[in-house]
Amino acid sequence: MEEKPSISTQSFIDQLVVPGDVVLDLSTMNNQTIKLGGGLRQDCDAISVTKAGKFRFSRPNKYWVESSQKRYVPCVEDHVLGIVVDCKADNFLVDIKGPTLGLLPVLAFEGVIRRNIPRFETGTLLYVRIVKANAVMNPELSCMDASGKAAEFGPLKEGYMFETSTGLSRMLLSSPTCPLLEALGKKLSFEIAVGLNGRVWVNAASPSTVILVANAIMNSESLSGVQQKIMVEKLLQKIH
Amino acid sequence: MEIDRTDGRTANQLRPLACSRNVLYRAHGSASWSQGDTKVLAAVYGPKAGTKKNENPEKASIEVIWKPKTGQIGKVEKEYEMLLRRTLQSICVLTINPNTTTSVIVQVVNDDGALLPCAINAACAALVDAGIPLKNLAVAICCCVAESGYVILDPTKHEEEKMKAFVHLVFPNSVKAVLPEESLCVNSEPWEHGILTSVTRGVMSVDDYLYCLERGRAAAAKLSDFLRRSLLSELLSDSTKAA
Repeated sequence: MEEKPSISTQSFIDQLVVPGDVVLDLSTMNNQTIKLGGGLRQDCDAISVTKAGKFRFSRPNKYWVESSQKRYVPCVEDHVLGIVVDCKADNFLVDIKGPTLGLLPVLAFEGVIRRNIPRFETGTLLYVRIVKANAVMNPELSCMDASGKAAEFGPLKEGYMFETSTGLSRMLLSSPTCPLLEALGKKLSFEIAVGLNGRVWVNAASPSTVILVANAIMNSESLSGVQQKIMVEKLLQKIH
Repeated sequence: MEIDRTDGRTANQLRPLACSRNVLYRAHGSASWSQGDTKVLAAVYGPKAGTKKNENPEKASIEVIWKPKTGQIGKVEKEYEMLLRRTLQSICVLTINPNTTTSVIVQVVNDDGALLPCAINAACAALVDAGIPLKNLAVAICCCVAESGYVILDPTKHEEEKMKAFVHLVFPNSVKAVLPEESLCVNSEPWEHGILTSVTRGVMSVDDYLYCLERGRAAAAKLSDFLRRSLLSELLSDSTKAA
């Protein structure tokens, strides 16, 4: 039996909230463990909002505020696209659009020993996984998955990279497949890598396909599923 | 004794407000705010790594650059920068991203009275657009006291010059909460009545000042509603389309 929080005013779940709104009162929720995600802050017994967005809840106990920004807040186990800024003795400094640069250890690649460490030039685009992220330290990255395999992490060659908002990246990565990518995939063949930090990389055999896919994604920022399909159909008609 | 305002407003009436977000392509957050003819554009970049030498590296620091419409940057602009910086520091959660700097750049597009409140409102909307964590929003209002003791809100430049004294007030926004009303109060006054910033120019009596505060609070509630609606209107249209 689910016990609803006994509040006389409305519940904020799935409502749009602004910074300052108090969305949960811990004194009414006893003996529960709740997990707070991004955009929320604890102030003694009150949970208040720090970012404007939609307040979401997922069973059994996760609360967060969904919002879309141009900058990224690093979280563990996110897959992001980073650009190499500098090479140090032990780490690569990688820009992941967050408040601080990420550190990619030189040995965090599959099958690499001290003798054959990879060398990347400044400006190389990498698909990496965030291993450690907290507010005070630079996030630590890795080009291996949890079991130590390469699993498609690493440098991305050729293709075209563009920047979007974090909300659009989440939509592209949603499951089931977002209607935009499905519609594009039926007619065109291309490779795509989406980083949760708002960077998208597209590669295809011909430049016109790359440009078409990139434009379709950039135009779909605020469209619903049906509108995305219509937009893609119009774009494809123009080239045929 | 009533004063007739040239644009036909009553003493408590504000000029038409307009706010648009995400107006600049390269800035991480941007907003333009206009009250009547006064228009200000604010851009936020950050948070970026590193702080300046005199700053506390355990906290995020905010840097404000004020760009006037014409002329060189002088003491007036530096003062505005300092006021805006102090106000924004009190609404941002500074402990979340230590050792970073957030830059707020304010560009005056047109100055027709109540410039500092307009800039504070624009900067607050730009911070929300950039996703900088905030404790609450700030709403700013300007109140003037005339020679006769008559108080008007949101003056134009013409009215400002004729006044004996004026005060810029910044209040936190009115929040929606699941808590009962009492726990949000401090010393039996509602949360929204707290003052974030108060800047006065000219000479006014204490009674006049308290009267300005009352009028300002009432207007701040209206501004707060407007700010909430305009911040969420884009998100609302997204969610109704996605549904």
